[in-house]
Amino acid sequence: MKRTLAFGALLLLTAVLVPGFLSLGTLAEVRPWKGLAVVYGAKNGVAAVVLGARLYDTLLEVLVFALAMVGVRYTLQPLGRWREPVIPERGVVREMADILLPMVIVFSVYLAASGHLGPGGGFPAGAIAGSGLLLLAMAKGIERLSRELHEGKLEFLEYGAIAALLVLGAAGFLWGLRGSGLLVLFNLLIGIEVTIGTWVVLHYFAAHRGEI
Amino acid sequence: MEVLATAALGVALVVLGFGALVLRRLLIWKLLGLNVASGGAILFLVSLSYRPGGKPPLIGFPAGIPSADPLPQALVLTAIVIHFATLALSLAYAVSLAEQLHTQEAERIEEATEEEMER
Repeated sequence: MKRTLAFGALLLLTAVLVPGFLSLGTLAEVRPWKGLAVVYGAKNGVAAVVLGARLYDTLLEVLVFALAMVGVRYTLQPLGRWREPVIPERGVVREMADILLPMVIVFSVYLAASGHLGPGGGFPAGAIAGSGLLLLAMAKGIERLSRELHEGKLEFLEYGAIAALLVLGAAGFLWGLRGSGLLVLFNLLIGIEVTIGTWVVLHYFAAHRGEI
Repeated sequence: MEVLATAALGVALVVLGFGALVLRRLLIWKLLGLNVASGGAILFLVSLSYRPGGKPPLIGFPAGIPSADPLPQALVLTAIVIHFATLALSLAYAVSLAEQLHTQEAERIEEATEEEMER
């Protein structure tokens, strides 16, 4: 009975999606975006939309991201820490991390700093830096990396980045600030925020697993 | 034609993901089904920005070539990040529920919470 209902609901969902799907045969004209990109000092149309025309959306999105990370912290913290080191130190990975990590970090900063000129931006830069931290955690052991990163201070850096983003957005709104420098600052701050967020997810899911 | 194929794949992924979300019993599988559905929605939206023979929406290409639509890509950038954050949060809640109730099955979790409510 339940399965039939579920299949019926799925069929209904597909039926709802079909009319929109059939209208895809004729694609609408692309709205002119080059003027918008020039106004906001970007060469990348997507960056001009994300950090210019839809800036409030992006700011609130960063807020939602930070709020979800706070939720992950406070949900997983009461669960006990895993007794033995969750990710132990490994020699081979350590050697490879020595070679790969500088490239990963430089590439991530490059993506964040040139996101308004080409493909890139703060979010992918943060994700790349976060996976660099994952590599480092596998090489060093996650508890040692957490101590070396000073996790308490990282939290202040995260909230500081959000506060700076909001202040910059408000300043842009009040005084009409625009230009490439502002976009670079936005991208770097978003990159910092996303890096710390991915590190929080990585660390808390690895260390606080609870006991079943 | 490419748009139709990619959009059809996106819709198929959404239906598949919702199917897993409804039919699976374990919370982790449900959340992974939601993940697949979200990937399908993202694929559908990205496929909308395709234009035949189009170039990426960057200034610097020679004029006269059609460009892809930057708007769906910008929308999807938001969706991907929010998806990551909410998936992490819901997985954290699933871990916490499994710790308290010693089960991941949705029906047993419902029974346990109903007993709690009656008390």
